[in-house]
Amino acid sequence: MQLRTRSCFKYCHAVKLKRAKRKISHRGGYKLENTFAVEIQGLTKSFKDFKALDTIDLNIKHGEKVVICGPSGSGKSTLIRCINGLEDFDEGKISISGNSQNPTKESFVSDFHIGMVFQQFNLFPHLSVIENLKLGPVKSLGLSEKDAETRARKLLERVKIPEQALKKPNQLSGGQQQRVAIARALCMEPKLMLFDEPTSALDPEMISEVLEVIVDLAREGMTMVVVTHEMGFAKKVADRIIFMDGGSIVEQNSPGMFFKKPQTARCKKFLKQILHH
Amino acid sequence: MFRILILFLIFFTLGSCSSPEGTWGWYVIDPSTKAGWTNIKFLAGGFYSTILLSIIAAFLSIFIGLVVALPAMSDNKLLKLFNRVYVEFIRSIPLLPMLFWVFYGLPVILKSMGIDANIDAFWGAIITLAISDSAFTAEIYRAGIQSISKGQTEAAKTIGLNYYQTMRYVIMPQALRRILPPLANQFIYIVKMSAFASVIGMQELTRRANEIVVTEYRPLEIYTLLIFEYLILVLLISFGVRYLEKKLGSNESATS
Repeated sequence: MQLRTRSCFKYCHAVKLKRAKRKISHRGGYKLENTFAVEIQGLTKSFKDFKALDTIDLNIKHGEKVVICGPSGSGKSTLIRCINGLEDFDEGKISISGNSQNPTKESFVSDFHIGMVFQQFNLFPHLSVIENLKLGPVKSLGLSEKDAETRARKLLERVKIPEQALKKPNQLSGGQQQRVAIARALCMEPKLMLFDEPTSALDPEMISEVLEVIVDLAREGMTMVVVTHEMGFAKKVADRIIFMDGGSIVEQNSPGMFFKKPQTARCKKFLKQILHH
Repeated sequence: MFRILILFLIFFTLGSCSSPEGTWGWYVIDPSTKAGWTNIKFLAGGFYSTILLSIIAAFLSIFIGLVVALPAMSDNKLLKLFNRVYVEFIRSIPLLPMLFWVFYGLPVILKSMGIDANIDAFWGAIITLAISDSAFTAEIYRAGIQSISKGQTEAAKTIGLNYYQTMRYVIMPQALRRILPPLANQFIYIVKMSAFASVIGMQELTRRANEIVVTEYRPLEIYTLLIFEYLILVLLISFGVRYLEKKLGSNESATS
């Protein structure tokens, strides 16, 4: 396992270097540090009178794992939904992997595909698990049925439910459904994964099985943005924790510092509420 | 179905007891006499036109309804407006005036445009039924499609499906089960409304009944038979739809 993870990491690194080199030859003097996976500048969005996002600036490096937390209505979900274009925004700029064009509705499939996992799973109830996984690769990537099948089977194994392939989603437990949803997103071979409260709709005893899968994914070097209240999980995988309130980023820090020494009063209060109950 | 046929037979036997001068005079459609049998054959001959008319009109209406309904789901205000105007306008027109307009009015317009097309009763009725019904089918589609949660569309987007693929592989298969029962209702409605085609001379069930009534002057018996003729058609549709629903239901009992 250790070996596989490392070789995978090496491969990712090689790919990154290659891409960086290509950029250097293209534009001249483009440094690796400058290619962020996600670059957000002055992002602002309002729902009528309510300001959901207030001039957000955020850069996410390739391979970085960012956990976003905060009280409900603080704009966490809106922020990550803006990243993959499910939500329009009023002002600001989002660049995905140095590509400054906004990821609007038309460009959902790009070189730099963004996978998403929803709180409510959003599996397709009329299709079996394996059909759920194959739909994207076959219809939008143009893979053959056979290739998609192999890919889907592999991913089902990775999320540890290969035996459920032919069942309908509602025959599975919540935890299994969410793992299928993760596999469905991975089937598109995304470079970035967004998780929108992936465990909030689950029964307590199913949370860990889903988090395990996400932790594995993190270890393999996937760039991830996770909105969650699972602080134990955040401690384990996050490179950076962001605390949002009232549509802006109030505080961001490494997990160690974030939990030990929260800087702002609001963050302290939030942590107190979430950790001691 | 059998019970209804038995009921029909009771009517029949009761009626044949009485004299021609009495309340019932079933002799006009008595299959044992030559004249009665000829009348029955003539009346039942209307089935062909009524069925053909209804089926073609229903298919057209299902198609036009979908074309009208889809703009309602877009973000474009102009497209939405088109849907609203079409639905509100078409469903406010009573069928009979519309039938007259299409049959007598439309050829005048076509002529002024240089097209010398005569709209015959059959196609006039089909166009009218299809268009007037399409406003209702459009609303059925809209309700069905909008009842599928938004998360489904969003999930489809994140795995890269475009609008058509989302509709075809994700939304429609789920919406169809909810759309089918009200759509069947509309089909029954079309079958019944096809009776209006008799006023522009279409040789369907009602028209033929009228013609026999005029020659035989036994309205009670002939219109009773006419009612049962429509009943048979509608029951057949009901059974067909039940069967379809069952088939669809077993395929995707998973709609959560």
